[in-house]
Amino acid sequence: MSGQGQRLNVVPTVTMLGVMKARLVGATRGHALLKKKSDALTVQFRTILKKIVSTKESMGEIMRASSFALTEAKYAAGENIKHVVLESVKSASLRVRSRQENIAGVKLPRFEHFTDPGAGDTKADLTGLARGGQQIQACRAAHIKAIEVLVELASLQTSFLTLDEAIKTTNRRVNALENVVKPRLENTISYIRGELDELEREDFFRLKKIQGYKKREIERQLQAAKQFAEEQFAEKVSLKKGISISSAHNLLVAGAEKDEDIIF
Amino acid sequence: MYGFEALTFNIHGGYLEAIVRGHRSGLLTAADYNNLCQCETLDDIKMHLSATEYGPYLQNEPSPLHTTTIVEKCTLKLVDEYKHMLCQATEPLSTFLEYITYGHMIDNVVLIVTGTLHERDVQELLEKCHPLGMFDSIATLAVAQNMHELYRLVLVDTPLAPYFSECITSEDLDDMNIEIMRNTLYKAYLEDFYKFCQKPGGATAEIMSDLLAFEADRRAVNITINSIGTELTRDDRRKLYSNFGLLYPYGHEELAACEDIDQCVCHYLFQAKEICRSPSASPSVIGSYAIPWEMLMSWHS
Repeated sequence: MSGQGQRLNVVPTVTMLGVMKARLVGATRGHALLKKKSDALTVQFRTILKKIVSTKESMGEIMRASSFALTEAKYAAGENIKHVVLESVKSASLRVRSRQENIAGVKLPRFEHFTDPGAGDTKADLTGLARGGQQIQACRAAHIKAIEVLVELASLQTSFLTLDEAIKTTNRRVNALENVVKPRLENTISYIRGELDELEREDFFRLKKIQGYKKREIERQLQAAKQFAEEQFAEKVSLKKGISISSAHNLLVAGAEKDEDIIF
Repeated sequence: MYGFEALTFNIHGGYLEAIVRGHRSGLLTAADYNNLCQCETLDDIKMHLSATEYGPYLQNEPSPLHTTTIVEKCTLKLVDEYKHMLCQATEPLSTFLEYITYGHMIDNVVLIVTGTLHERDVQELLEKCHPLGMFDSIATLAVAQNMHELYRLVLVDTPLAPYFSECITSEDLDDMNIEIMRNTLYKAYLEDFYKFCQKPGGATAEIMSDLLAFEADRRAVNITINSIGTELTRDDRRKLYSNFGLLYPYGHEELAACEDIDQCVCHYLFQAKEICRSPSASPSVIGSYAIPWEMLMSWHS
């Protein structure tokens, strides 16, 4: 992560500021929602984990019971019974199908078993008619229970894996929003504000400077006008006396200048 | 010439009687079973079994033993002993010993026919058959598509031929009828065996009629209990009961009408327990069957 100094490269205008603010609001709301989703998923995750542990334990028991039921059936109906049953089967009567369930926004697969009525397992009811029939039916029941437990365990484990993935993705997004997107946006906003302030200050400064110039200009003009007015007055006075100050002045001035005709 | 049979008995049956007594003492005892119960792993079981008669059959097995391997090897021992006795037997003992295998033959035939119906490989099916029930033309069972072909091509040469006359009606090899076919064959087999045992008379007839009567009754009750709640009609049920035994004929009528387990059990459990208590544990003829008496009592299954 390249630290907190990152910001987006944008033109620092007021419109951009508005856009960035809107994005920040969106990011904040998205962050809150995703956090809630992540929490809900974690709760589901924990319950599934507990169920998996208990189901696995019961599965061990049930599988052992069904294997023993098979042994009892073999004892009662003869060693061949396994082959007899296997050979007389055309297609499975107990099947599994899957469907999707929506938990907290995540699509989880769920397996369930169902009996296929067309597979005709009524014919199997007569197996072991003369010996072992009851044991065979008991074995069948035990194995059906074992299948139920196995199917449920399969559902739970696939949900577990899918939820795990979903939680990882959601957490990744939450962290990304929290540590990358929002700081970036906030930095951009502060940068834009900074730039806008600076522009404003520049403008202000420029304005003040120009005002200063104008004031000095006006003062100078005022000074010049006052001097001119004084000179005019003095000229008027001297004209009354018969000399032109300006011309006397001119002579003096002219005398101070080098004249070729005068050789001192 | 009654009473003088003991004079000539040793000529025909002396060696085999000795072998049977030997085998009987090789049966696993309660102590053996206790030891086996204490075992924690399959290797422990192998170790215990190697101290019994099953030792030589298990000692060549590599270490990661499988339960099916142990079962296979023990069955192999049974089959070897049986074959040995069959070789040494003369008539009528050899026919008697062969009768014992007909039950397994019926099971194998039914297994192969069912497998063929569902298009399984013949070789795999042959491997799954019981070794005591194998006969030569068993692989050709796979080509049959219905009962007539089955009978005509394969079974007419086997000892099972006369049993098929009861099923030879033109029903195709439908799945439901496979179980019924199996039980009808077994019924015919039991009746045939019963008749055969009555011929020599004497000890054979006495002991075997008790045993076979018990087997027939046990099967009748099992069929009744297992067919409660299925599609099997009362008439079909009636047809599967054997024509001898303690429950014949009135008991069968009652059983055929039963719809509930308690009805059957309370009437006839009493009678059957009487049979089992009678002391008939002499090994001279039945040793090779190797079924402990406790197993015969497991008729509630």
